[in-house]
Amino acid sequence: MPRGVGLLAACIVATLACSPLRADDNPKEVSRAVPLPPGVRVEATELDGPVFADPAGKTLYRWPLRQLRNGQAGDRAGSSECTDVPSVVSAGLMSPYPGGLKLPDLDERLACTQMWPPFLADADAQPVGKWSTIKRKDGSLQWAYEGLPVYTSYLDQLPGDVFGGRADKRGGDTPAMRAPIGPPPDVPPGFAVKTMSTGRLLVTDKGRSVYASDRDTPQKSNCDATCADTWVPLLGPAYSVVPQGSARGEWSLIERSAGIKQWAYRGQPLYEYRLDTGSNGFRGSDVPGWHNVYTQRAPSPPPGFTVQDTTAGQVLADQHGKTIYTYFCGDDSQDQLGCDHPRQEQAYRLVVCGGGDPERCLQTFPYVPAAQDAKPTSRSWSVMTIDPRTGRSVDAQHPGALRVWAYRDRPVYTYAGDRRPGDTFANGHGEFRGLRNGFRAFWLRDDFFNQDQPGPG
Amino acid sequence: MAKRTMRRKRLGLIAVVLLSSFHVASTNSQSGGDSASTVKGASTVKGGTIAFALTSLRWATYLTPDGQVDCPDGVNDGPREQFAALFPGDGKGRALADTQLQREVQNWFPTTAPDYFKFREPRGPHALGLNLDGKTDPEDFTSPQGEPGIDNQLYRVLGCINSYRDAQGTNDSLNSLEIVSDGYNRLLVELNGVTSLENSDNVEVMLYRGLDPLYTTADGKGFLPGGSQRIDVRWGQKFIQRLKGKIVNGVLTTEPADVAFPWAVFALPTDEYLRGASLRLDLTATSAEGLIGGFADIETWYFQLMSSQSTHCQSYGQLASMSLYKAMRRLADGYPDPKTGANTAISSALRATFTQVYILPESKAELANIKTLQRAEPYRGPPNPRSVAEEMGDFADVRATLTKAD
Repeated sequence: MPRGVGLLAACIVATLACSPLRADDNPKEVSRAVPLPPGVRVEATELDGPVFADPAGKTLYRWPLRQLRNGQAGDRAGSSECTDVPSVVSAGLMSPYPGGLKLPDLDERLACTQMWPPFLADADAQPVGKWSTIKRKDGSLQWAYEGLPVYTSYLDQLPGDVFGGRADKRGGDTPAMRAPIGPPPDVPPGFAVKTMSTGRLLVTDKGRSVYASDRDTPQKSNCDATCADTWVPLLGPAYSVVPQGSARGEWSLIERSAGIKQWAYRGQPLYEYRLDTGSNGFRGSDVPGWHNVYTQRAPSPPPGFTVQDTTAGQVLADQHGKTIYTYFCGDDSQDQLGCDHPRQEQAYRLVVCGGGDPERCLQTFPYVPAAQDAKPTSRSWSVMTIDPRTGRSVDAQHPGALRVWAYRDRPVYTYAGDRRPGDTFANGHGEFRGLRNGFRAFWLRDDFFNQDQPGPG
Repeated sequence: MAKRTMRRKRLGLIAVVLLSSFHVASTNSQSGGDSASTVKGASTVKGGTIAFALTSLRWATYLTPDGQVDCPDGVNDGPREQFAALFPGDGKGRALADTQLQREVQNWFPTTAPDYFKFREPRGPHALGLNLDGKTDPEDFTSPQGEPGIDNQLYRVLGCINSYRDAQGTNDSLNSLEIVSDGYNRLLVELNGVTSLENSDNVEVMLYRGLDPLYTTADGKGFLPGGSQRIDVRWGQKFIQRLKGKIVNGVLTTEPADVAFPWAVFALPTDEYLRGASLRLDLTATSAEGLIGGFADIETWYFQLMSSQSTHCQSYGQLASMSLYKAMRRLADGYPDPKTGANTAISSALRATFTQVYILPESKAELANIKTLQRAEPYRGPPNPRSVAEEMGDFADVRATLTKAD
């Protein structure tokens, strides 16, 4: 495709200016109005779009039942499996290792309800919309959404934090994870929104990416018949009206020709790219003048980070071009509790990053240092202080504490085995291809495997 | 551990053609000027060019019925069986950190410490592969057709692991399926300067990654020739490589060169790296089939395995990665490390099939715009490996018991 060559040449210079990341001054996603219990509100978030939050603004989560290799974990509709008794042995839900092995650091291990406090309801709470209540074993009432009990996360501190889990389903051998809940995005039938590391990507209901052209003008398509061979206009019903409740009027229908209507979002006529081969594609954005459409963009990484090309797409990298990695961990207890946060168990991470040796771990997967005057650039990108010997978060005065960059409240790393920009030799390093106790590269764009979704949690 | 004689495979003869300074535009001039001309008897050769897309790829193992000849002692145990032997269910109340996690340490930071378990290797005289060094050595195999000097020590490693055995082999099956189903692995081979598919003295062999799906038969099991492919010039530049070859009696043979090719399994982008690799393919107008032989870079090979497949996936085919790594190191027979003298690569062979495709002219034009391609390099392994002594300290009491029993 010769049209892509110009951009390709320009993008060999690996800087954020040439990356799929953009400035942060973009509008936030609009959601549909839905009935809510008293005090529950909708909170805007940086990566996951609008979510439901408790009266204090803390994000609400569910723990859906999930089939794992050797059994199930999670909540069924109408009851909570999250108890105040800490698990002491592994459940053996993930083969080939058997259950019944004593879990690490039992003297410090938290119970499920300490990490996931139930979102309790008043005794006289009444069902509303998709919200109802369940009775916990201690007799208290807990709010449920679509029948599943609702929790907050002990990791979330401020309104808009979503550090406990991720919105999009993650497949494979990931743990049975908690996921934030929220109202549906305000998109017409035939569209959906996908959470990517670069933002909330507008796609069709079949998962194909939606594009807009710089050559179009507001509410007018300049894509002629030849253009439309490659860029397929997304047509709306001839007698359709824009969705009700679009407070900002973000959706409209334009008339391409008599009786032929095309969807437009924020005034931009929308298309599919015929040469996209899979879901969540970005290949159309290589064509000058065309770009993917987002309902909101993810915050940019702090200054100094770069973007590097790999054999599958683009990764975030440090100032030297070394690929950035995030660490994923969920234990094999019946609780399926996280172990990828510096407030949580570190035994797992020390195994895969250094064979159990903290010093080897530091040499092999070094933290990404933050300068003394570095300031957090968003809630998603922050600076934290870490005790390098334990991997735990500590206060700044702690002897030997390191100031490091963190994404979604977890440190990010590079890998000493990567020698050149674009190397991703630690992508998948660890148990279950890096998804349960291991590292994954920070993908900004992945044209083959859909790895470009935001990090652990 | 028996120390094998280290052989420096004919490095001096190997033309390393990975394209640090190769101007790709030169390939266009190789294809001749008359795009309408065809080679006699092969309408798919246009202007001296024919291309193929990879449709299956398997590490070459030579198997006999029920393994009676190749694995008379049976096959190797996998992670599940090894764990049970190391930590029997005797009610001792073991800790996850001392058992499961420590086994993962051994998998991810492997060493050449002696294995806890006896490793079973094929004992038969035959193997598939190529004579990579032009010599016949005592450890070499004979091909099923009687060709001596076959270099395929990787077969000794894989031949008695169920995962790599035909029919029951998880890796053998899954890895080959992914070659087709996963666009990341779309390897294209383009022959330029072809005067005849029977005999051509001077053939330029280009390797690319394609961007398009393959055409399959109605049942999805076969592949139709004649599909079109674009070249991945955006992310696939590392896989654009040039080899020199010739066709004799319908068989394409290439001169040895280092070759990198994509082989992602289970949705992780990983590659293979063969040193001194040669292709030997039987050609027709619609297909190509044969062997790719070369010295597999051990760290790249092991990384591809470990990042693609968890211990769980490995256990399907009784593949114990730590045992496999030790065997690879022990049987390595090429490319000694200049500092340590230890061989870094192991002779190997792949069985490959291809179907004929057309590479779109506009894609070739894009290729011509690339001035310099990045050179592929092998993985060099964990930067801070564990020592043999460290591993010898793991489960020391169990090691003593197992060794005594053995």
